Amino acid sequence: MTGWAEKILDIDLTAQSYTTYPLDMEMARQFVGGRGLGARLLWDLVGPDIDPLAPENVLIFTNGPLTGTGYQTSNRFSVSTKSPLTGTILDANSGGFWGMQFKKTGYAVLIVRGKAARPVWIEIKNNSVAFHDAGELWGLRVFAVTERLGQSNNQRNVLCIGPAGENLSRMAAIMNDRERALARGGPGAVMGSKNLKAIVVEGSERPQIEDKDLFKFMLYETRKLLAASPLTSQALPEFGTVVLMNIMNNIGALATRNHQQTQFEGAEAISGEELTEKYLVKNASCWACPIGCTRISKTDKVEGEGPEFESTWAFGAQCGIDDLPAIIEANTLCNDLGLDTISAGSTIACAMELSESKYMDSDLRFGRADLLAPTLEAMAYRRDVGADLADGSLRLATKYGHAELSMSAKGLEFPAYDPRGMQGQGLLYATSNRGGCHMRGNMVGPEVLGLPKLIDRFQVQGKSSFVILHQNSSAAIDSLVLCKFTNMGVADEYFARVLSAVTGVQYDTGDMIKVGERVWNLERLYNLREGFTRKDDTLPPRLLNDAPTEGPSKGWVVQLEPMLKEYYRGRSWDENGVPKAAKLAALGLAGL
Amino acid sequence: MPIVKLYANLRRVAGVQEISVPAASLKTLLSALVTEIPALESHLFEDGQLRRYVIITINGHHVTVLDTELAEGDQIAIFPPIAGG
Repeated sequence: MTGWAEKILDIDLTAQSYTTYPLDMEMARQFVGGRGLGARLLWDLVGPDIDPLAPENVLIFTNGPLTGTGYQTSNRFSVSTKSPLTGTILDANSGGFWGMQFKKTGYAVLIVRGKAARPVWIEIKNNSVAFHDAGELWGLRVFAVTERLGQSNNQRNVLCIGPAGENLSRMAAIMNDRERALARGGPGAVMGSKNLKAIVVEGSERPQIEDKDLFKFMLYETRKLLAASPLTSQALPEFGTVVLMNIMNNIGALATRNHQQTQFEGAEAISGEELTEKYLVKNASCWACPIGCTRISKTDKVEGEGPEFESTWAFGAQCGIDDLPAIIEANTLCNDLGLDTISAGSTIACAMELSESKYMDSDLRFGRADLLAPTLEAMAYRRDVGADLADGSLRLATKYGHAELSMSAKGLEFPAYDPRGMQGQGLLYATSNRGGCHMRGNMVGPEVLGLPKLIDRFQVQGKSSFVILHQNSSAAIDSLVLCKFTNMGVADEYFARVLSAVTGVQYDTGDMIKVGERVWNLERLYNLREGFTRKDDTLPPRLLNDAPTEGPSKGWVVQLEPMLKEYYRGRSWDENGVPKAAKLAALGLAGL
Repeated sequence: MPIVKLYANLRRVAGVQEISVPAASLKTLLSALVTEIPALESHLFEDGQLRRYVIITINGHHVTVLDTELAEGDQIAIFPPIAGG
């Protein structure tokens, strides 16, 4: 069969040994790769009796059949594990170059089990796997490790953790290619708990393509479509994602000061327009990507990748800070420490509110840009106030008696979009399988940008059907593994056609959406098995009860209950949010 | 008088971030705007229709009907096609 790398590399860090065995191709057909394949394997390997930071938890790195083929954005890869932040199933995916190189080693899946007795790093060169002593690397930050281990974008790629992962911060990221991140949900802490510092890949196998002529045609068509779309050919290359700051503020859906407001008076100062005018050096791309949304930004102190919209918001509006250089520097620092910027920024914001309300004793106050960097350092090293913040806003707020001030769902901190200004986004946050996340089916497209068509962001009835479709589509794209920005110029049917061309297995658009639905339901089953219930499909009281008192979203709270009931029906789940037997059978999940 | 706020590359095209435009309806306002700043026309219109993915809000609320009436002091924000995540 073509497309897929048909082997699994299974590493036991405790024994410092490894085995390889064939990928189950029927499983691959059903779940494709990336997030889907990772979820299916995690279902078998990590049950409810396993602590996320115990050696029995695993890290499952996956690529997909399109990875490394050169199809637009075919650079991404995924990691699956049980999240130490939320306890839910977790997958995170990242761009850059590591995924492409990983595919070239000839493995579809890398499973990492156990715990090394002392810090190690792993080197995978095609069929050879070497364990190296990481004693001299342990304690180093991400940039230094990446350089020390010989990062070279197209030939040798480094994936590693920084001090945050070593110190088991539940917000720790796994970084690749210096400044790309597998960030949400704390996979870096899982890697740190295994005494695994880095994984370096070098490969030479080329992915095989079944129908080369059709594949070439799809490449050509996709290139034309991405060039024709103003979103992918102009907006993203010129301004990056931070261009969303002003529009989200304009419509009153920009979470501000720990979601106390929905508009930020300093939004213009931290906007994409400001970044482009004053701090942008150039744009950049991941491997095989013609879009080029990556920013390279420079201040007096740093030059590096980013910041993205979410990072700028998290250290900006959410913390009441309008100092863009300080935000850029905080973003670069997170990359070097190996921290998730969204959770880090929102946890700092939570601490700011707790401190201003005198529930907690610290110097943190909204607007204190000077405290961003020292606080992030403290979090990564669990020092001083950082010891309280290192494990996220929910544990922080609970410790100080006010869990309701954590702006999170299932323990994962929300991104920028305040759902009191976007009803569908509220439903999305409450039902996302890895917690408060926008990347599971971002409703900013239809509710704000008119992609593909504008719908009323305040409408409640009928909104669940859009959320379900977006969730299924996102899960399918995450299983391919492609960048969702491709979807802004290219319809889902193109992904089905290129997948068919590469693998020789016939998928149509409906099949792709079904893959996504299958993955979504499997993730739901996983969380149910972990003990999550309907009561966890919820939002903080602030979003359900406290309406903004000014701005375009004045008077609105998230009408979650009616949307949730409709959502469960739409997904063919019972009133407790449990998938019905007939639905599971239709998706091929009946035996689980 | 309504105030028009421009975003993203529209600022560069227009040479301004903000401009007051006397108009009683959105349709009249847009017509006056492109008369005042002709360089904006191709970014906002195609074959006489508002370009796909151009976003217009009035006081923070999306508007798609060009005959919408305007009031004194209304803030009209115009965004070109933009994207993000």
